[in-house]
Amino acid sequence: MIVGERCDIKTSLLFLTAITAASELGVKVLFLTPTPIQSLPGSLQDTLANLNPDSLKKIKFMYPRSREELLQDVASLHECACGPSAPYSLIIVDGLERYLGVRPDSSPQPEDQSAAAHVSALLADTAAFLTRKLEERGGAYAPCRVIVSFDVGLQGHSGGESLLCMDPILSILDRYFSVRCTLDRDRSSAAPATAIASDKQPRGVWMVYFSGVGVTARLTAGKEESSIMQRQWRLAVCPNGALEFSPMGTDE
Amino acid sequence: MSSFLPAVAEELLREIRNVYQETSQIPDEILLALKFVFGPSALHALDLVDQRAVTVLSSPSGRRVYQVVGGSGHLYTCYTTCHYCPCPAFAFSVLRRSESLLCKHILAAYLCQAMGLSQQETVTDQQMSNILCGKAGPGT
Repeated sequence: MIVGERCDIKTSLLFLTAITAASELGVKVLFLTPTPIQSLPGSLQDTLANLNPDSLKKIKFMYPRSREELLQDVASLHECACGPSAPYSLIIVDGLERYLGVRPDSSPQPEDQSAAAHVSALLADTAAFLTRKLEERGGAYAPCRVIVSFDVGLQGHSGGESLLCMDPILSILDRYFSVRCTLDRDRSSAAPATAIASDKQPRGVWMVYFSGVGVTARLTAGKEESSIMQRQWRLAVCPNGALEFSPMGTDE
Repeated sequence: MSSFLPAVAEELLREIRNVYQETSQIPDEILLALKFVFGPSALHALDLVDQRAVTVLSSPSGRRVYQVVGGSGHLYTCYTTCHYCPCPAFAFSVLRRSESLLCKHILAAYLCQAMGLSQQETVTDQQMSNILCGKAGPGT
């Protein structure tokens, strides 16, 4: 689960994840978002120019407009999991908060928490079912994973992490998504709007770090990716739109 | 679904499975342990087990889901691999207050699974989709 204040960078990251999974891992990807993507994120235009079109065909976009439509689309994925075509190995939901009716200017109601649990549980249960189907086919593309992005209303606040801890919807999502990837904007590193040398400065900088019981479990089990998740990362959006990741020292 | 439970609860359900397979009974000390681990939900869940209130629905795709008839006659759909129940107790005690591990309907599903006492029913894939997203029961 990718969490952070409202910004386009999460969509770019999810898009990059979908393309990487389809082109480098060869898996089928389902990308669910309430708003049709009108143009490619600038950061990906160079990447896409070098891609095999067949890779892009492995990504399917669906645009459920409401929570009910999202539930229906996810609930019916099992219907085509037994056909000749391989099931999805990655399900991405961009902008989950828009399906949950969460507004940054009001407190979530109890029914919002139940709705968040329903959507999350259905995604988790569907991924478990598709994993079983992928394993029945030899397991080369198993397991099926789910990645969602969730905006939190942090604008104008300091101490974003403490607000994240208090968000009642986020605490529900944490029950079902065991790894949380937090994007924290580094306002001190962003290029000022009037900077003369803005062509060399990043358009935006985010601190990226992982948390959650899934990270703890991986560390305990000594899994290979645990060193990646243990680190903090710096994500810079270059003037040409490219995304640059660099590891940060543990003392930063 | 068991990976969502603490180890002690998993061990308890394993014990129930083993004992019930051998004796078709659950001894008092295990009933007490159930009450200790799951609180007041345990007795209500055992009542649902007695009433054979848990049905496992399956469709040709292989998708499965639990349906539990609650005390009021309402039908609750619970997923097989993670904890979710649309009942008010799950929303309040589990999600909102974090006071309970699960509600009586999910615990009843666990117990019926362990004791082999679930009813079985087959539905079409399309019916399964409607049930999974909360639109309909098996008869619609």
